[in-house]
Order: sequence, then C-alpha cells, then structure tokens
Amino acid sequence: MKNRVRIYLLCGLAAFLAALITPLSMAQEEKPFADQKLVLQISDIDPDKQTLVLNVASNFIKYYGPDRTDVEIVAFGPGLRLLFAENSNAGRIDGLTQSGVRFAACGNTLAKMTATLGSEPALNPHATVVPGGIVRIKELTDQGYLLVKP
Amino acid sequence: MRTCLSKKLLLTGVSWLIVTLASGPVYAANWLMLQGTEPPGSADPVRVWGFVQVQYQKDYSDPNPAGGYIPPKLIGPNFTSQSAFNVNRARIGARGVAMPLDSNINYFVLLEMGNNGITEPGNSFAKLTDASVTFNHIKGARVRAGLFKYPGSEEGLQAIHVFDYINFTWVTAQMMLERFPNRNYTPNIPPQPLPPPVSLNGFDLPVGAFRDVGVEVFDAFDVGGGWQLSYAGMIGNGNGLNFSDNNGNKNYYLYSSAEKLFGGGQGPRVYGLKFFAWYQDGKRSADLTNDGTYNPVDYDRERWGLGAKYLRDGVRVTAEYMKGKGMIWQAPQNPSWGIGPGQGNPAAAGGNGAFAKGAGWYVEGGYRFPGTKWELDARYDVYNRLDGNQFEIKFTRTTLGVQYFFNPRVRVAFNYEFRNADAVNFGSGAGPNANLDGIGNRLGVQITGIWSQ
Repeated sequence: MKNRVRIYLLCGLAAFLAALITPLSMAQEEKPFADQKLVLQISDIDPDKQTLVLNVASNFIKYYGPDRTDVEIVAFGPGLRLLFAENSNAGRIDGLTQSGVRFAACGNTLAKMTATLGSEPALNPHATVVPGGIVRIKELTDQGYLLVKP
Repeated sequence: MRTCLSKKLLLTGVSWLIVTLASGPVYAANWLMLQGTEPPGSADPVRVWGFVQVQYQKDYSDPNPAGGYIPPKLIGPNFTSQSAFNVNRARIGARGVAMPLDSNINYFVLLEMGNNGITEPGNSFAKLTDASVTFNHIKGARVRAGLFKYPGSEEGLQAIHVFDYINFTWVTAQMMLERFPNRNYTPNIPPQPLPPPVSLNGFDLPVGAFRDVGVEVFDAFDVGGGWQLSYAGMIGNGNGLNFSDNNGNKNYYLYSSAEKLFGGGQGPRVYGLKFFAWYQDGKRSADLTNDGTYNPVDYDRERWGLGAKYLRDGVRVTAEYMKGKGMIWQAPQNPSWGIGPGQGNPAAAGGNGAFAKGAGWYVEGGYRFPGTKWELDARYDVYNRLDGNQFEIKFTRTTLGVQYFFNPRVRVAFNYEFRNADAVNFGSGAGPNANLDGIGNRLGVQITGIWSQ
C-alpha cells in the first residue's frame, strides 16, 4: 500500500515538473548556444501582419544564423489565424520550423474561438498550445527575450 | 451536330475526369481560384479594391464611298468619333471572408462606373458586374453562386486590369463578348456620316462581360511534380449581367485546365505553362421577324475552345482557338442579326446570324526586359465571322505594344494595331467590302491604376 502511494506521488511530481519546465526547456535545450533571443507577437487580424511577422523571423535568422538565434512566435487574439492548419502561410511556417522557430498558440484564444465556431479549429501541427499567449510572452521576456510586435 | 457536340463534351469531360480523380492540396492560384476564393486563414474580412483605366484612341479608317462609317471605324462604346479620350473602366469592389474565423465562406462584389459596353446601353451610371458567394466546405467541390465570370476562354476569364492590350481580339470582341437581343424586333442601322445622327449601338442591353448569374462547382488540385489541375462546371441564366432569366433556358459551362507550375511569380502572374479547354451551350430567345408581332424564337448558342499559356521570367506566350455556332453577332448596330444585302431582313439571301458559325484564334507574346520597367508585346489575331457563309468576313489584326510599369500597380500601355477586314467571297468595293475596305489602323494609349486596401 505504501509503495503504491509512493509511486503515485512520484508520478504526480514528475508530471508536475514536466508541465512546469517543458515550455522553458524546449527553447533552452534546442538552442544551447543561442545568444540572440526574440519573441514575436502576432495578435492582429490583418493578413499583411502575418506575412510581416514571418518575414521578420526569417530575416532575423538570416542575419544572425540559426545557431545563434532563438525565435518564438506567439499568436493570440485574431492573430491566432496564423496558426490555423488551413492557413495559406503553412508552407512558410514549415520552413521556419526547420530553422528552429517555435510557434505558440494561445489556449485562451483557442477556447474562445472554439466556443464561437462550435468546434475547435484545427491548428498547424508545428503549433504548441500554451495556457495564455500573454503569459507566454511574459515568461520569455523574463528570460531575456526581446519582444517585438511587427 | 450532336456528334460534334459529343466530341467537345468528351474533350472537356476527359480533362474533367482526370481532375476529379486527382486530389491534393492547393498551393498556387489560377483564375478560378484567384477570382472565386480567398487565401484560407489569412484573408481580410473586407478588402476594398478597384482600378481605373483611362485611354485615348485614334482610328485611321476611311468612310465608305457615300461617306458612311461602320462601328469598327469609330471609337466605342459611343461610336461618335474617330478619336476620343475615355474613362473606359472605373471599378470599385470588395472581397473577403464572411467571418474571419471561418475561411469556408468568401464573397466578391464589384461595381463598374466606366464608359463601356456594360454601361453605355441605357446610359447607366453604374452597373454591378460581380456579386458572388463561395462555399469551400466540400473538398474538391467548391461552390460559387451569384453573378461572376463564367469559366471560358483565357482572354475573357482573365482579370481585365492585368490584360496586356487595350482592345480585345476580333474573335473575343465579336463572338465571345455577348450581345443580347432586344426584346422586340429592332432593325439594323446602316453606316452613318460623322457626327452620326443616330446611335450606332442598336442593342438595348449591356454586353455580357463574360459573366452570368448561376451556380458553379470548381476546384484546383496539386497532383505532384509541380502540376496543378483545375475544373469548373456551371449552370447559369445565359443572360449576362441581367439578373433574371429572360427565357427559362439555362446555359451550361465546362472548363478544365492543367498547369505546370515553375515556382516564382505571384497572383495573376504565377510562372507556369497552362493548357485549357472549355465548352458552353445554351439558347437565346430573339424576335428577329419584322412583322409587328412579338414572336420570339429560341436559337442555339454554342461556344468552345482550347489554348495554352506560358509565363516565366518575363517571357509570356499565349495561343487560343475559339469556335462558335449560333447567335453570331454582326455588329453593335445590327440587332436584327440579318446578314448580307438587305440587312435588317432576316429572310435576306445572306441568311441570319442566329444560325451562323464563327471561328477565331490568336497568338501573342510579351517580353519584360530584366531589371527595367519596360515590356514589349505583340499579338496576331484572326476571326472568321459567318464561317462558310457567302458573306463570311475575315478580320485580321497585328498589334504591337509597349508597356511601362511605374510600379506593379500603375502602368501605361501603347498599342498600334494594323487592321484588316475582308468579305472573302467579294472583290474590292463589292458587297460588304464597300464598307469594310476603309478599315484602317488604330493607335491607343491607356493608363491603368490599381488600388487595394
């Protein structure tokens, strides 16, 4: 009985730690030598902003090189459309992912959109759902990421 | 006739079948997709856009021996002079997604306020040319409903604001750009002196503008190897820009294309090699008997064609062949459709254009000088009106053009047209050649400005 309780506790602790550190370690483990850290915010409905934010990420990596850069694009509000699976920029997102760019989708926005549409919109497979877009940006800026909203 | 029809249906159907069997994501654009859909997940709810075309044209034709002019010797759509400035197109519209979160429903509206064959009949201030909604819910079978460009020839289907010449080819202007019969018998109008004491446009309704009100099913598929296949099938009123069906007969449209995409270019100027074929069939009601009684008759109207277009790195080559049967239009001043001597009498020896045939083709090319804003264009086009008839007329034209692009949205085009028209079964000055002999060359300058939100 005691052993079973101990196992449950250990499993619970492991799950808690994993949930806590995964978003942070995702960046640090994959980019151990990155010294140029950038978080890009996309929250506008304007489709030109979608193109712009992808261009900025691409140009940033081109200038500093993929090894020195750590870039994450956080989408929330109307900007979450960028990370819809059907989005016409899916090819570019795929290409940037190959260069190490990460894409975070706001869970709060997703829940709201799901309620509006009646079903959850399919997201790009490269998108990682985070609890809140603004919370994610706060976490990254606390770690020294430069926030840019093109 | 039915055998011929079967062959054409087979031609379009085979292409359609290939397309239907294929499947895959769509990455590139073509006219069906460009005009009928919005980019998923990245379209504006409302994108206001439009364009203006301002032109000057001068015609160097001579009148007939009696001093009369026919429309090809005058500047349209008013046919009152041999030189004119004109705001021939001024359009404003909006397109987008009905709801930003739902890319499945798109809309497109466009209003014409320029002076052309759309607005000149009836002296309209403005005319709605497009008002459609597209439903993208079913993969492989998008549905578009409303008023919009029907699937057909490249010259008619393409967006006019990126058209590389000032005037349409003879075959497109006469056989494809449809004129609709007046409700009641209307006699033909003989050649007029200048200034014309009567209007040289005898038609009451606007030109069809390659549009119809109806429902279209279409889609495009990336099938690998850089190839994209498209298809469209449509049923419409067959009554052009006029909202309702005037005779209860529906018009049927089929279209298919296969395009090898090279990568590069964008929007209407995507680099590729496209092959296409299309077919249209319907009936038109017309009262062509001058007996004082309203007694319209249904006439068949059939059109089909095929062609190819190449565009890559500033080099463009297009070739199209088009054929028509029934409702062969004679001229804007001739709504009785009668041909030959005694025009205006449908029982004339020459016959009636409502039963006639026509065929035409063109080949054109353009070259954009690398690193410059200059482009050279050249086109040769032929139209055999009343093909096989005693009064068959062969229209030919060579167009030389230069375009200067101030920026991607504003350009000026210079065209010089070497034109000729000849009634092939008559000598010089005889029969229709009495009026055709003087058709001369034409100079045109046109500025196009496109704007978008």
